Amino acid sequence: MEGSLVSEGLKFMTLGMGTVFIFLILMIIILNLQAYVINKFFPHTEIPHKRDDSTSHKDLDEEKRVVAAIVGAISSYRGSK
Amino acid sequence: MKKLLFLVLLSFGTLFAGGDEVSPAEKEYVSKDMGEMVTDFLTSTGAYAFFTAEEVTKEDHGEVITVSEFSQGWGRFIMILVAFLLFYLAIAKNFEPLLLLPIGFGGLLANIPIAEIAGPDGFLGILYDAGVSNGLFPILIFMGVGAMTDFGPLLSNPKTALLGGAAQFGIFATLIGAVALTDAGIFNFSLQDASAIGIIGGADGPTSIFIASNLAPDLLGAIAVASYSYMALVPIIQPPIMKALTTKEEREIQMSSLRPVSKLEKIMFPLTIIVLTLLVLPDATPLVGALMFGNFLKESGVVARLSDTLQNALINIITIFLGLAVGSKLAADKFLVPETLGILALGLIAFSIGTAAGVIMAKIMNRFSTHKINPLIGSAGVSAVPMAARVSNKVGMESKPGNMLLMHAMGPNVAGVIGSAVAAGVLLSIFK
Repeated sequence: MEGSLVSEGLKFMTLGMGTVFIFLILMIIILNLQAYVINKFFPHTEIPHKRDDSTSHKDLDEEKRVVAAIVGAISSYRGSK
Repeated sequence: MKKLLFLVLLSFGTLFAGGDEVSPAEKEYVSKDMGEMVTDFLTSTGAYAFFTAEEVTKEDHGEVITVSEFSQGWGRFIMILVAFLLFYLAIAKNFEPLLLLPIGFGGLLANIPIAEIAGPDGFLGILYDAGVSNGLFPILIFMGVGAMTDFGPLLSNPKTALLGGAAQFGIFATLIGAVALTDAGIFNFSLQDASAIGIIGGADGPTSIFIASNLAPDLLGAIAVASYSYMALVPIIQPPIMKALTTKEEREIQMSSLRPVSKLEKIMFPLTIIVLTLLVLPDATPLVGALMFGNFLKESGVVARLSDTLQNALINIITIFLGLAVGSKLAADKFLVPETLGILALGLIAFSIGTAAGVIMAKIMNRFSTHKINPLIGSAGVSAVPMAARVSNKVGMESKPGNMLLMHAMGPNVAGVIGSAVAAGVLLSIFK
């Protein structure tokens, strides 16, 4: 056993670094693939779009009306001064 | 008179606790004359114990060990001074105070004679058995780390993960260095000891403790102290190595900004990594699993309360327990041995090689790729998050003001955490 410890260590290094790199390379491939799939089928804009379809349009109209009302109120206030 | 009687009774309690195994119910008060009482009390003082230390044999977790006279007496005194040194480093020099203070105080308490706080029945011993010897506390810390870590920079530029892999080279180079010292007859490190020492190069405190408690419990105190001290020294150790290995032009490389990462990608990330780990290396799943659990809670966005607990309350509580329990291993008979110096030296080498390997890997990648990366982010592959990434950023800014590398360096930095967990898993699987 004596004297062979370093060669044992070299085996550990080969196995260890090999596994670490294989793991990380697989991870890189999978993450790139995942990013590709997700961005293709579930693009960033997906969630806002959904909202647009259902409620956001109404919200937006509502907001516009509120803004118009505020603008009107301010101008009438200034006019009355 | 009443006061004296009380003191005497108290001293009996400590005498019994330290000596014979007598259950509290069996303790009976035997009447003694005044002189005897006073001498008995004096022999139970700490000062007396320091001067009249004797060699003792005690049982520690089923093993019978002999503790030398020096370790029982002056060794304890020196260890208390070591604890004070740790306090100084933590408070005056701001070296990882969150861990060095509990570790130092644990060491201080553990070295009090007679009280046996670090013994199997003392509270430090109980904490150690509860969470360090079985690897529970480091795993819980990993959950908190996962909940605190944003893997976004890695997701946006996955290839920087290779830098986090290269930095693990320090672990294995040091492992070989440690066994080479054994071969040369200087130290007597087994392969298990060498593996636990090498992990210091991963620059990951919890992983070091996890591996040391598994493979080399005797060296745990020294390994933990070395690991956390070097993590604190990252801003001092790394820059000279980084500058020596890069040219001025390389340091000035400007990296393109990172692409935005969608929420879905971030939610999928922990699950993807778990699946990959269970397929490739199940032995790494305790560490990686805990890390990804914490990250999943954070990114899911629906359990803010749990994620918040992991990031703050839980990790703080466990840090206190872990620090104190690790400190309990700063006993003179374990720490005041030549091996400790060896561990401190090897740890420093491990760290430096890891840093250098990351930088060199970045330079190799630049050879083969059109998208140049700044080699300074390679040093962030050692997993001291986020300190190593900040160092990359700082050195980058020094060479070219306005060259922000922080987010780019976070990629290899978090990959380094995964990389050292994988390296740890490999070592565990070898010794199974």
